[in-house]
Amino acid sequence: MVARRKEKKSQNRIFIPLEGLNQTLENLSKHFTVWVPMPSGENEWSLEFKPLHRGCKILLDRQSTLPPKKVILPQGQTLIEYEYKKSESDPSKQDLVLREVIDESPIIVFGTRPCDVRGFLVCDKVFLQGRYIDVYYRARRLNTLFATLFCREADDACFCSSVGSGPADMEGSDIGITPIDGGWILEGLTDRASEIFSLCDCEAPDEKQIEDARRVQEEVRSMRVGNLRTDGVLEGVKGQFQNMELWRDIAESCLSCGVCTYVCPTCYCFTITDEPQGLRGERLRSWDSCMFYQYTQEASGHNPRPTKLERYRNRLGHKFSYFPLRYSGMIACCGCGRCIRSCPVSIDIRQGVERVREAHHGCVCS
Amino acid sequence: MWSEITKKLQETVQNIMPQVEAVIGWERGFNEIRIKPVVIKKEGDISKLVWNPFCVQNLSGYLVKSPAVIPREGRRVAICVKGCDSRSVTALIQEGFLKRDQIFIIGIPCSGTVDWRKVMKRLERSSVIHRAEIKDGRLMVEHAEGVEEIPLREILLRRCLRCVYPNPTVSDVVIGETVSPHIEKEDLYKDVEAFERKSLDERRKFWAETLSRCIRCYACRNACPLCICQDWCIAERRDPKWVTQKPTLKDILLFHGIHALHLAGRCTECGECERVCPMEIPVMFIKEKLNETTLRLFSYEAGIDSNLVPPLLTFNPHETGI
Repeated sequence: MVARRKEKKSQNRIFIPLEGLNQTLENLSKHFTVWVPMPSGENEWSLEFKPLHRGCKILLDRQSTLPPKKVILPQGQTLIEYEYKKSESDPSKQDLVLREVIDESPIIVFGTRPCDVRGFLVCDKVFLQGRYIDVYYRARRLNTLFATLFCREADDACFCSSVGSGPADMEGSDIGITPIDGGWILEGLTDRASEIFSLCDCEAPDEKQIEDARRVQEEVRSMRVGNLRTDGVLEGVKGQFQNMELWRDIAESCLSCGVCTYVCPTCYCFTITDEPQGLRGERLRSWDSCMFYQYTQEASGHNPRPTKLERYRNRLGHKFSYFPLRYSGMIACCGCGRCIRSCPVSIDIRQGVERVREAHHGCVCS
Repeated sequence: MWSEITKKLQETVQNIMPQVEAVIGWERGFNEIRIKPVVIKKEGDISKLVWNPFCVQNLSGYLVKSPAVIPREGRRVAICVKGCDSRSVTALIQEGFLKRDQIFIIGIPCSGTVDWRKVMKRLERSSVIHRAEIKDGRLMVEHAEGVEEIPLREILLRRCLRCVYPNPTVSDVVIGETVSPHIEKEDLYKDVEAFERKSLDERRKFWAETLSRCIRCYACRNACPLCICQDWCIAERRDPKWVTQKPTLKDILLFHGIHALHLAGRCTECGECERVCPMEIPVMFIKEKLNETTLRLFSYEAGIDSNLVPPLLTFNPHETGI
């Protein structure tokens, strides 16, 4: 028994059979909170990442509607809890009691796709680099592991290969999942993987399974998902900034809702509000959207982005120009296509980028 | 059939183009089952216009929501409407947001629009769509891993399956043949009635489960042509603050309750709120209940007669039956 355990600890690959997936992850959930993609409701098409529960339906055969963003950046996150209490030293006064809420519990996100993890690599630049480190983000980020699928499910909205990633991009992932006949091969990519494997209670794959996985990976590596060209967009957004006719063409049908930003793995904007309840309350960080009018509403009454056109320009510009300019060329879009798929009016960000590019090159040439 | 109507639509637009500022219609989106709104301003773009059961969006909001196309003196803005959309146009006229003589309404009878999610569900794993065609009441989809044939009725949006106004109620020109509704008018609120027969616990459980999926993206609000507070919605106001930013069921329910109540007696049941929800929450169902009440109390249906004043926008001290 001891010998077997030892052997397991050193293994870098395990095989999970189709019927053993729930059990394996349930084993893990004794030590970690395990997030998996599952249907949002009984008959719904939409999928979202939720913490595993007994008997839940895990769906790994298509991209989730909502990315796993909320695992690290919850839609509503308590930063501080506060309470006013009668002062013990001076009964005529109140003391303010503050409690910082930092969640460091260990998490595994199982069944992410390269685009999902790429989203966190983008957010890392903002929250973990430079002068200010976000302690709330860091606590969750450092305690979260990603088991990522080699993705074979690209559809007509996907374009990950056009923005510096790809369906076999394992950067940022701790475990690679390769779907093969009869199950999945899990492969350790970082030191943290072996600890997980030792808790899984799974067999090592046989030679044939390893060969199958190798073939699948090779196939996925050879795929190029999307054919968006982004050259010239970096400068193009700046050059076309005041070309409101162009932005009207791109975003005239926009409803100014927050779908694109909330389903986006790389949109990290938040607002902070105090939510009181009597003498106690919390300081809450919650998702915000640059598509909303209130997002840039200034105290003076002025709003620099008064219509959806300026707001859409910002969304596209931020992802394809301002962000890469600040963070050594990294495009703040992972090409997952969620904003395209979920947009109520089917606005296609690829088309917007293409229009900016054309306008820019047109300017340069003439 | 669809290409014929599309052709007629393009011809009609060609004829009226000199008199209008712009034409609001639909064009192909990123694949054949995803259509998107388009604003045609020059003749060269008329060929973009299409009509088929994938033209899901209600375009009437574009007439009033900023930055809307405002016609110059003596000109009009043309808009393509289905039956349900035409009621929104009437409602906007009733409430004074729109002048009838500023718009040119191109009415298109509609036998139902497609819920793309229902199509995707039928395709199982593969989701790259190469071609889609609707013929003789069936959708044929060619996708990456084969061909699927689905009866149209099985993939229509819920709003369409209970539509009683498939033909435009107001228009300057109608393109296509008149169609008959899927249900009888007396059955309009049978879903509401069936739901009300359930116990309080069951109903509470239903709404707790479905509304807990809400991500508060406000697509339901922004897609609604009659949600006219827009940038000043109480959902985001800080001072005074009505709704917290917490993503808890209580706050979500509060938002949807407010949203629905503000539409009581105004909602034309175009179902856009429900169609646009990325989490597939049946939010129109709440409004259906309010409309059922409005019909019972005031014998009033929104967006039918532009001369009527919506019951909750007026006050009559002699009102009876309440």
